[in-house]
Amino acid sequence: MPRTTRIETAVDLQQYRRQLLAEQDPATRRVRVCLGTGCTAKGAPNVLERFHQAAKEFDQESFAVETKCTGCHGFCERGPIVVVDPGNIFYQNVKEEDVPEIWRESVVGGRVVERLLYKDEQTGKIAKTPEEIPFYNAQRRIVLALGGVIDPTRIEEYLAAGGYAALAKALGSMDPDEVIEEVTNSGLRGRGGGGFPTGRKWRSARDAPGEPKYVIANGDEGDPGAFMDRSLMEGVPHAVIEGMIIGAYAVGSSHGYIYVRNEYPLAVEHLTTAIEQAREMGLLGQNILGSGFSFDVRINRGGGAFVCGESTALMASLEGRVGEPRAKYIHTVESGLHGKPSLLNNVETWANVPPIILGGADWFASLGTEKSKGTKVFSLVGKVKNTGLVEVPMGMTLRQIIYDIGGGIPNGKAFKAVQTGGPSGGCIPAKYLDEPVDFDRLTQLGSMMGSGGMIVMDEDTCMVNVAKYFLGFLKEESCGKCTPCREGVAQMLHILDNITKGEGREGDVERLEQLGELLEDTALCALGKTAAYPVLSTVRHFREEYEAHIHERRCPAKECPGLFRYEIDVESCTGCGLCAKKCPVEAITGERKKPHTIDLEKCTNCGTCFDVCPFSAVVKV
Amino acid sequence: MPTVTIDDEPCEAQIGETILEVARRAGIWIPTLCHHAALEPYAACRICVVEIDRGRAPTRSVGRWQIVTSCNYPIRRDLTVRVNSQRAIRARHGVMELLLARSPESPELGELAARMGVDTTPYPKVTEAQRNCILCGLCVQVCDEIIGASAISLVGRSVERAVAAPFRMASEDCIGCGACAQVCPVGTIVVRIHEDEVEISPFKSRVKLRRCAECGRPLASEPVKEALCRRGGPTVVEMLAGENLCSRCKREKLARELLTSRK
Amino acid sequence: MPETKENTVAQIIRRYAGDPDMLIPMMQDLQAECDYLPKAELKELSGRLCVPLARIYSVATFYASFRLMPKGDHTIQLCMGTVCFLKGAGKIAQVIQREFELVPGGTSPDGKFTFSPVNCVGACALAPVMVLDGEYHGGLAVDSAVELLHKIAEETDKV
Repeated sequence: MPRTTRIETAVDLQQYRRQLLAEQDPATRRVRVCLGTGCTAKGAPNVLERFHQAAKEFDQESFAVETKCTGCHGFCERGPIVVVDPGNIFYQNVKEEDVPEIWRESVVGGRVVERLLYKDEQTGKIAKTPEEIPFYNAQRRIVLALGGVIDPTRIEEYLAAGGYAALAKALGSMDPDEVIEEVTNSGLRGRGGGGFPTGRKWRSARDAPGEPKYVIANGDEGDPGAFMDRSLMEGVPHAVIEGMIIGAYAVGSSHGYIYVRNEYPLAVEHLTTAIEQAREMGLLGQNILGSGFSFDVRINRGGGAFVCGESTALMASLEGRVGEPRAKYIHTVESGLHGKPSLLNNVETWANVPPIILGGADWFASLGTEKSKGTKVFSLVGKVKNTGLVEVPMGMTLRQIIYDIGGGIPNGKAFKAVQTGGPSGGCIPAKYLDEPVDFDRLTQLGSMMGSGGMIVMDEDTCMVNVAKYFLGFLKEESCGKCTPCREGVAQMLHILDNITKGEGREGDVERLEQLGELLEDTALCALGKTAAYPVLSTVRHFREEYEAHIHERRCPAKECPGLFRYEIDVESCTGCGLCAKKCPVEAITGERKKPHTIDLEKCTNCGTCFDVCPFSAVVKV
Repeated sequence: MPTVTIDDEPCEAQIGETILEVARRAGIWIPTLCHHAALEPYAACRICVVEIDRGRAPTRSVGRWQIVTSCNYPIRRDLTVRVNSQRAIRARHGVMELLLARSPESPELGELAARMGVDTTPYPKVTEAQRNCILCGLCVQVCDEIIGASAISLVGRSVERAVAAPFRMASEDCIGCGACAQVCPVGTIVVRIHEDEVEISPFKSRVKLRRCAECGRPLASEPVKEALCRRGGPTVVEMLAGENLCSRCKREKLARELLTSRK
Repeated sequence: MPETKENTVAQIIRRYAGDPDMLIPMMQDLQAECDYLPKAELKELSGRLCVPLARIYSVATFYASFRLMPKGDHTIQLCMGTVCFLKGAGKIAQVIQREFELVPGGTSPDGKFTFSPVNCVGACALAPVMVLDGEYHGGLAVDSAVELLHKIAEETDKV
C-alpha cells in the first residue's frame, strides 16, 4: 500500500483512520503469526513463511486471505502462536508441518483444528479463543492490548486500531498543564522500579528552568527475568512513541531519546521503523498535527551494562561516557542530560500515557488499589506452568497471578517463594501468597515492584543460593565507582560462597545484615543501595535455611553441592548400569540387573548419575 | 544566607557550598580521600558521609535522617547535619573497613584509619588492588581536568576496575608532570627519576627528562615544558626559553651577574 | 604501520555529524564493521573526534558488548538470567567451558567459538536459552547444548 502524504491535522488523522477501516474487507480472513522473541526462537518465522506461501498459491477469488506477523501474545510457553480470524481461533505450539492442515481446515474450510487448541490440564476443557484460556481471562490488557493483534512494522495498523488519537486529543484540546493534571489525577506511578508518581515528575520537569528540555524512554530493561519492555518495544512501538510525544508536549521538550538495551535487536529494529513511519506521516517532526508543537526522537543502543538502567548512568551513557551514576542531590528533572531538565520514564510508563489521555484519569484510577492505579505487566517465569507476560490490575493477589493465571507449580512440586523486583527486589514466601500486589505492599514485604519480574521458585530452590546468584550478578554489574558497592558486594558474595560450600561460620548472617545496612546507607546509586535486598529478604523470610547451611552443613533444598548426598534407591534401581557408566570418578558399582551403590568416599557430588538415571532411582538425601 | 547546624553548632554558609566546605571552615574534621579542593567532587570513596535531617514528611512525626556524602551535598537552605552521630560514625567506619581489606598495605590509609579510630578490618582481602589503589579517581581527574593530558582513565568495571593508560600500555599522552602522584591519597603512584627519563609508575610512562645544565639536578620533563609554553603564552615561553637551569643555579647565576655588574 | 580503514572511521563519524555525544553508537558501528574494536581505528577515532584515547578506552572496557579482540567463527551467548539459572544454565556454562576450552568473553583455542554469557536475553519462557550467532535455542539441557555446539563445529570444518 502506498504511503499517504503527511497527516497535517487532527481531522486528517480521523479521516485517514476511517479510510483505513473502510479498506478492511470484513470477508477477509486473517492469519496472525506471533513473531515475538519467544515464538521466533521456537520457529515462528518458518511457520509464517509457510502461510505466506500458502496464501500466494491460493486463488483469492471467493475471499481474500491476509497472512501477517504480530508482536508478542504473552503466552510464550505455548509458542509459536497462530491466530486465525474470523473467530479469533487460538492455535498454540504450531509447527511448520501443521501449516497445511490449518490452512485447509481452518482458514479455507472455516473449521477448527482441535488438536492444536489449548487444552486445560486439569479440566480437560478445550479453548477455542484466548478468552476461554485461564491464562488470558483473568488478565486485563491495556498496554498489551494490541500486542498480538497488530503488525508492529506497519503504522497503518496502529492508526486503524485508534493509535495517535490520544496525541490528537492532547494537542488539539488540552494545554500542557491539563495533560499533566490528567496524568497526575490518574495516579500513574513509574513502572520501571521506584514507583514515583509520574504526574509529579512531569510537573517538576515542566517547572524546571533551563532549555532545551529532554524526554527519555528507559528501555534498558536489565532485570533478569523481566521482558515486558522488550515486548512493548517489539510489539507496539508506536504506543511508546505516542506516549513520549504527549509527555514532551506536556513538559515543553522538543528532543527525545529512547535508550534500548543492547540485547534487544528486534526492539531496535521495530522502533527504528516506527520512528521513520511517524516522521513520514508528520507525527514526529515540525508542527505536529498543525499544533505548532515540534518534537523528534532518536534511538540509542545500550552497551551492555545493567547500571545504565539507573537514570544518571543512562544519561552519562547518552553523553558518550561510561555509565557511572552520580549523586542525585539535584534531581535529573532539574539537571539531567547535559545538565538540562530531563524527564525520564520507563517504556511501560510511556505506553500507559495514551490510554490515560483517551480514557481519562477517572477511568484509569478506577483500576487498581488506593495508591497503585491501573494495571501492571508482569513477566511470570520460573517454576510455574504458564510462563509468559501477564497484565493484571494492581491489587490482584500473588496467588491469583501464580495459580489462576500461571497454573501453579509444575511437576507436583510445592511453591516456595516468588522473587519480585529483580536484583533490587526480594523473595516473598508462601505465607504471603494472598497479599495483594501493589507498590507499597511489596515494599512492606521486603521486596519491591521493580520492573515487574516475577520469578517463581519451588521447593528445590535453595534460597541462599538464590541470594548468591543475585549478588554474583551485581558484583559483575557494579560500575566499580563507589567503595561500598564495589567492595561490600564482593565481601557479601564471599560470605555467601562460603556458606553454600559448607564453610559458613557463626556470625556470618549478622555480618551480612551489617553489610546490607552499610550498602543501603552509603552506596552512591540505587543499584548499590538495594544490592543487599535479595540477601536481606531471604535472611528475613528463610533464616532457618541459612542456619542449616552454617550449623548443620546441610542444604535443605538439596541444591548446594556437598551439603547433601546422592544415594541409590534399592527399590527403584533396575541395575541398568547407566549411572556407573557415566560416573566420571567410577564411584558407582553393582552387578548387572541388581541395585547399584555409590561409594561416598569417591563421589564428588557432580550429579551426573542423578541426571542420567532413567528410573529416578538416584535420590538426594 | 542559610545556616548549617553541624553537631549543634550553627555555621554560616553560602548557597551552593558543600557541607564539607562549611565544616572545614568551622574547624570540624571530616575524613576525605577522593576529595581535592581543585577538582569537581567525584564522591566515589564515601568516607566523608554524614547524616542530614530531611525534615518531617507530612506522614511522619519524627525527622528523617539521611546519610549523604558531605563533599558534594550542596547547601540550598538551612540544614541540620550530624557528623559524629552513632550512625554516621558507623557508616564511615564501615567504609574504611572495606578499604582496609582492599588495600591493607598503604601506610597513608592506615594513618587515616587510625585517626578515625579504626584499628583493623574484620574482612578478608577479596579484591585485588594495584599497589593499594582505592580507585578514588583523583589521578584521572587531575590529568584530565587540570593538566589536560588525559593520559589515563578508569578502565573496566566492578572489582576488575583499574587506573591505566589506553590498552594498559605506556601512554603516549603522558607528559610526566607527576600531578597524579601528587594527588594520590594512598601512595599508589610513584615518580621515578632515571638517567634521562622520568617514569610515572605504575602507568609505564617514560618521558624525556631535562636536567639543570649547571648542577645536573632533574628539571620538569621536556613535554611539561612544551605544555607550559603552549598554555602560558609569550611570557612563559621567554621565561623557559633560556638556559636549562634549576632554580638554585639560576639564583646563583643571577647573583654572580649582579656582583660582576657592580664592579 | 598497519593500514587503517581510514574511510570507515571517517564515514562513521560523518554518519553522526561528528557529535562526540554519539561516541558509543560510533563505536558500535565500528565494531559492527570490523567485528571488534581495532587499536588503530580507535586511535583514529580519537584523533578525528578530539576525544582523548583514554576516554575511548575507558568506554570500550566498561560496556560488556565491546570487544578489543576479534571473535571466533561462532558466538555463543548463553543466558544467565534468573530463570535460566534456576533451570540449570550454570551447569551448561560449566560443561561447555570445559568441553570447548572457553572462558567468559574469550575465544576457544581453535578459534571456533566466542563465549559470552549474558545477563538475560528476555526469553525466559524458553529457559535455559542460548543465542548462537543470533539464533535462539531454548529448553536446553547440558547434553543438547554440547551436541548443538559439536554439530556447529563440525559444519564449520566441512566448509
